[in-house]
Amino acid sequence: MGIKSSFMIAARSLLRRKTKNLSAILAVTLGVTLLVGIQITTDTLENSFMTSLLQRQGEVDFRVSNSTTGGYLTSADAENISALVPNAVGIMPELSTDAPVMLGSQFDDSVEMAGIPTDFPEAFGSFYDWKTGDKLNLNALLASNSSILLSSSQAEKLGLTKEATLPLKLTTEFTNLTATVQTPPTVPLANWTVNANTTSAQYVLNSSSPYLSLTVVPVNFTGIVTLYTINCPRLGLSNYDYINVTAAGSNNTLVVLGFSMDDGSTLTVANLTNIETLNTTQFDLSPYSERTLRGDAFLAIMSANGTQAEIEISEIKFESSTPIITYTPTTERVDLQVVGIFDSKRPGIGSQYRGIVFKLEHLQQWMSLQDPQQKTDIIKAYLVALKTDHFTSEISRDYLQEQVDMFKAVTPETVDPATGNTRKIFRVQSYRLTFFSIAEMVMTLLSTMLTALGLLIMITGVLLITNVQLMNVEDREFQTGVLRAVGENRRGITQSMLIENVFQGILGGIFGLFGGLVFGQAVASYLVSLFGTGQFSVQPVVSQQVVVLSVLIGVALGIITGILPALRASRVNIVEALRGIKVAFEEKSGRNLALFGVLAIVAGCFVLLINGVFDKTCEGIWVAEGWNTLQEWRNILIGAGLLFAGVGIVLSRFISRVKALNFTAIAIWAIPVFLFVVAMGEWIPDITGLAPDILIIGVMEIVIGSVLLVSVNLPPAMKALRSVLVKIKGLKGVGQIAPALISSHKTRSTLTFAIFAVILTLNVTVATLVPTNLSSIIETEQDSRGVDIIVTLNKPVANIANVSYVEELYKLDSHIIDVIGFKTYASRTDYQRYAALNNPYSSAFNPQTDMLPIGYGELRKEQIRGNASDAEWRYNFYLSSFPDGVAQPPADEVTDGELTEMSKQAWEMFFDPSYRMAAYNVSLAKLMSDERDLSDLDLTSFSGYSGRELEGVDVLRYENGTVIKNPIVFTDSFILPMGLQVWIPMNTSEYGLPVYQAFTIAGRLDSQRAGGFPLSSFSLLSGDEFNIMDALGKLYLPEYWANQTSFLAEADGVTSISKAPNQFNQFLIKTSYDMDDPRIQSIAQAIMNFTNTNDEGYRGLVGDNFYVASATVLYSKIEQSLEMIQRVVSFLQIYVTFGLVIGTVGMAVISIRNVSERKREIGMMRAIGFPRTQVMLSVLLELVVLGIIGLAIGVVNGVLISVGFANMQGATLVIPWNDLGVYLGIITVIAIAAGAIPGWFASRIPPAEALRYVG
Amino acid sequence: MTATRNRESILVISGLHKRYNEGKSNEVHALRGVDLIVKRGDMMAIMGPSGCGKTTLLNMIGHLDRRSEGKIVIDNIDTATLSDGKMTAFRRDKIGFIFQLFNLFPFLSAVENVETPLLLKGMKAGVAREQAKMLLRELGMGDRLYHLPSELSGGQQQRVAIARALITEPAIILGDEPTGDLHSATSAEIMKLFRRINRINQQTLVLVTHSRWIAEHCDYIVHMSDGKISRLEQGPFKAEEEN
Ligand SMILES: Nc1ncnc2c1ncn2[C@@H]1O[C@H](COP(=O)(O)OP(=O)(O)OP(=O)(O)O)[C@@H](O)[C@H]1O
Ligand SMILES: [Mg+2]
Repeated sequence: MGIKSSFMIAARSLLRRKTKNLSAILAVTLGVTLLVGIQITTDTLENSFMTSLLQRQGEVDFRVSNSTTGGYLTSADAENISALVPNAVGIMPELSTDAPVMLGSQFDDSVEMAGIPTDFPEAFGSFYDWKTGDKLNLNALLASNSSILLSSSQAEKLGLTKEATLPLKLTTEFTNLTATVQTPPTVPLANWTVNANTTSAQYVLNSSSPYLSLTVVPVNFTGIVTLYTINCPRLGLSNYDYINVTAAGSNNTLVVLGFSMDDGSTLTVANLTNIETLNTTQFDLSPYSERTLRGDAFLAIMSANGTQAEIEISEIKFESSTPIITYTPTTERVDLQVVGIFDSKRPGIGSQYRGIVFKLEHLQQWMSLQDPQQKTDIIKAYLVALKTDHFTSEISRDYLQEQVDMFKAVTPETVDPATGNTRKIFRVQSYRLTFFSIAEMVMTLLSTMLTALGLLIMITGVLLITNVQLMNVEDREFQTGVLRAVGENRRGITQSMLIENVFQGILGGIFGLFGGLVFGQAVASYLVSLFGTGQFSVQPVVSQQVVVLSVLIGVALGIITGILPALRASRVNIVEALRGIKVAFEEKSGRNLALFGVLAIVAGCFVLLINGVFDKTCEGIWVAEGWNTLQEWRNILIGAGLLFAGVGIVLSRFISRVKALNFTAIAIWAIPVFLFVVAMGEWIPDITGLAPDILIIGVMEIVIGSVLLVSVNLPPAMKALRSVLVKIKGLKGVGQIAPALISSHKTRSTLTFAIFAVILTLNVTVATLVPTNLSSIIETEQDSRGVDIIVTLNKPVANIANVSYVEELYKLDSHIIDVIGFKTYASRTDYQRYAALNNPYSSAFNPQTDMLPIGYGELRKEQIRGNASDAEWRYNFYLSSFPDGVAQPPADEVTDGELTEMSKQAWEMFFDPSYRMAAYNVSLAKLMSDERDLSDLDLTSFSGYSGRELEGVDVLRYENGTVIKNPIVFTDSFILPMGLQVWIPMNTSEYGLPVYQAFTIAGRLDSQRAGGFPLSSFSLLSGDEFNIMDALGKLYLPEYWANQTSFLAEADGVTSISKAPNQFNQFLIKTSYDMDDPRIQSIAQAIMNFTNTNDEGYRGLVGDNFYVASATVLYSKIEQSLEMIQRVVSFLQIYVTFGLVIGTVGMAVISIRNVSERKREIGMMRAIGFPRTQVMLSVLLELVVLGIIGLAIGVVNGVLISVGFANMQGATLVIPWNDLGVYLGIITVIAIAAGAIPGWFASRIPPAEALRYVG
Repeated sequence: MTATRNRESILVISGLHKRYNEGKSNEVHALRGVDLIVKRGDMMAIMGPSGCGKTTLLNMIGHLDRRSEGKIVIDNIDTATLSDGKMTAFRRDKIGFIFQLFNLFPFLSAVENVETPLLLKGMKAGVAREQAKMLLRELGMGDRLYHLPSELSGGQQQRVAIARALITEPAIILGDEPTGDLHSATSAEIMKLFRRINRINQQTLVLVTHSRWIAEHCDYIVHMSDGKISRLEQGPFKAEEEN
């Protein structure tokens, strides 16, 4: 028979056997939907994560700024820069700063402010109105210097909606400098003392008044009187031009006046000078401009003629030709008008600004207020765009890197007048490049999980297609028998089936492709909510090759699984096929199979021996160390899997196949279970880089083992089920039919529950991840009696008698049991209060690279230790790194109890003012250089406890060899290495210069651990803008040293930033509630209401409406810190839910297919008197039993795998039974519906008609 | 046959019509007004050319399909008045089927196939199994009790089908070519069995057959053609040779 007749047979069978064809097409459709959908999902996830980061840069590829920290560029630089980037499509100046803002009762203590020209190049895009989506006209809107645009994301933070009516008043603060002309320093004239050793004359001294008067009565011509003072200013001489002395006295007085310098030498102002010359001569200081006075001065008076000489000095003054002006920064409150809100989630320039936008000239005006010279031509950076429309087609990373490198290469150099070093005149930074690497880092983490899950879910698609196609085997065999009987040859049969299958495959492929695309779209819209980016910003990514490949695989699979039985059928014995005799289930294996088993054993042993024998990086399995890395486990899993499969096959030659397979199944299941449950927690210390293949192999073996186990034991289990059911009245008929059906189609039944076993295993695992993490954090938190609320004020509490913020807080709610207030300070603009990373007094000090804009905080003993009488500490601040000398337990794994003890020891050292710790030879390389890049940061220090960081690191020594030892500070910064020496500007000397004190960083507050330090808010992955200030954290000083500073000290009003003893600005609040109690949120709200309401509450009490508190509930912060995990889990959830949906629909398909195939049996049942209900029950029971088996396998396996993950994190496993109940419910409902609906229809067909139904 | 006198009618059919695909272009008028009365304890044969509507008539009697028109009264009950549930129970209790194409459950063994109707009646599983075994042994299937239908010969399958129909001792047994696949010796044995249950239990048998030989073992023969009863042939056709 030719191809034509094959076509005819195929066409006929396609037309006639509708349900079968439909189910085959549906199976391929669903399978391909899964394959395509998973691919699109993965790509879309990666892409939307990337764009959510990159979008923040708008069209900016890199920015060029002044290479001096804090320096500005000017409008004149525009030309130079554009000459350096010939490839730019747009260059635009930008001035940026940040400041606190208040809108209504809402406050944000740091809002980005940007000034941009209203005629910026088109390449950067446009601003669009948040509400209407219309383009905004910047020129018209920003006419006044108080007019600003607000970004929609900032608007949301400030509680605004699209409906807000504009303009809105927004209050901010700018720094204003008040200039004071400095009165020239003088040498105090009181407290001069006579140096008796060098005095050889009678004298009368009066050194207690504004005058220094001295009368010398010489005994002979050489009589001299010498005076000294140690109250002379320790003055750097560079600022002063000359010394003026005003004196009166007798003509015969000769004066010697000198000052000691810091190096011990002497500066002689007058050397036997008479009073007239002294008065009229200005002593020139210019040769000494590099020098500093030591603080002591001497004066010697002689008589020129041996008679009484008198002198009365009224002033010794250090003067300069230009008056010395000092500037005091004051904060000026400014009301601004929000005249427009732009959509900051829309790709383009809008997404580039997340705070406030000014017209460039206006922000320049505001910012010039803080500049002594009031310069308005200041530009923070020039933004360079190398292409337009980054969102639709992202710039190539390599190209960008190349352009940045090129820019660096061609940037001219200049000699720094201060240091004499050469440096580039511009610094170039590309956040876009940084984001590329962050995205890469996160995606490699994520891809691991996604690939593993995606693969496993795709397997269910394969199972589904195979299952439905295999259903055709039996009737295909019958059909083939008939065809062969009427003389059709094998080729013809194969041809006609091939045609049929190709048709089904292609149709299914096309539908599946659409299904996948629809799913991709759904994922994309879900991701919009997940990333909080705008609707314009997440698009499904359909990579053509991948999609085509997925479709091909699905279609090929459909065809192959359809064809295989056909091929087999075309070879079968005609008579046997017609009689429908199945190949009898051999009780024992044949010889060939046994040989295969032996091969598997050999291969398994070989793989097991790779460890230690062939691969020397792994230890052999015969030693305990051979079981403690994942690398080793990979081979153990594969090897043992092969070995036991082989053993099972060989065994089945000698014992019954059922027993042999049982053995294999249990072994294959038990090995990975052992890995997850035992090894992961106890033997494998390091699970970083959990490779997806190990995960996949482990999960696969667990699933295969359990499915095989159930499948092998299906007949006896079903027999047991039958014997139960036939005893129940009304179910006897059902009991007779359903279990027999299940065990008669073993392959089909197995595949059906296997689909669910796989999907539910994944579902349970994923569903367990977050609650387990959360609970482990809450547990430690509960143990450490942690704080519940963190309150941050925009400025320290008012220093008003009888008004205590802390006391007021206690009054607010009786459940507040402890309020720990403390002081913090961060200098935004004042460089003199930045910490120094190098000795600021040394010549090697480079202000451009050695200054760190870090904040400070004071931690007092009573804030942590509590009162001496307290048995318990007030708060167990955990440390993750410890000072020298803290007793450390031997193992790397430290229990919480040990950690508490170690932390307490460390705190005792911290509060001991006499404790000193050596400084170590560590540095934070290049942190502040223009090469700065996120990849320089040591991300491993994110991980919690690290005991002996400084082992093997050299200590620093003075030149004479003694070890440098400093008082200690703690930090919550992950950038600052332990043992680092830092200089903190303690206060300002009388003459405006910072006075530094060196410290050693001796402890790191554990901010990763709950119960650790709750204040550090930095989360690299939270999706927030990377803010170096947040990333830096703070340096914490003990009370003793904080008191020496001008910004934390308990001094009242010495400087504008000094504080009274209890002028706290941050508060840690404990309540009597459990930490996850929702009532804590109401307390937080009450605190904010109390503080943030105009003319009432605290504002009323202190008469100042610029107080704003933000109260954060720690639990929500913890939840936030889990955000990344949650986000990852959401990704994973998408996958498994997708799998679940497809799986359930697949189940429905299988069920419909089942019922349609059983029409004849249903007719028979009805004919011999089965009531409809029992007919339906039989159909249902089959599905429910299979569903329950799948569910049971899934839940058991999922829980076991989760135990592994929980062990890995040392967390207690929390199983969200409620969520699982939902899955269980969904499965049950769908299984019932899937069986009941077609069953019901079938049971309504007249039996005679059903009986006529022939395959 | 003299037994027909004065016995009550177990089955009364009047004006029965069946149209397949009613109202459609491919409508087949398979039964065109059948009137028939069968008395309890009758053993009746239906004969006729292929396609004349014999199977259709049997299906109508067993209520395996909806009729288009007409009235069927079984055991003095007008079946039109029965709900589907009642009808199912009625069929379970009163009617036994032996199908043209055996229609055994392929996934149940011989004995399981036979015991199923008993289970449906609520009989204890053990008792049902014993009864089924007994009957099968009686039919010479004692050594094939646990075989699946696909492992049985056509004749053996037929015997299982017969056993399943007989096991509940229904008032009416409907057989569509019940001995179709059996060779003559076995056929004779089956007919002997039919005759015996007919005699002892007063069970009514309606057998469709092509075989004149089989038909002549019945009390009378109903001849059908073109969906109608064309002729009624009264027995006895043979002497009571069985006895
Ligand atoms: N489901 C159906 N749909 C349409 N026509 C049908 C259907 N069942 C039977 N027929 C038609 O009704 C007529 C009677 O069929 P029936 O099966 O009763 O014949 P029969 O007398 O049993 O024949 P045979 O001796 O060959 O078994 C036939 O012409 C047949 O084609
Ligand atoms: Mg027929």
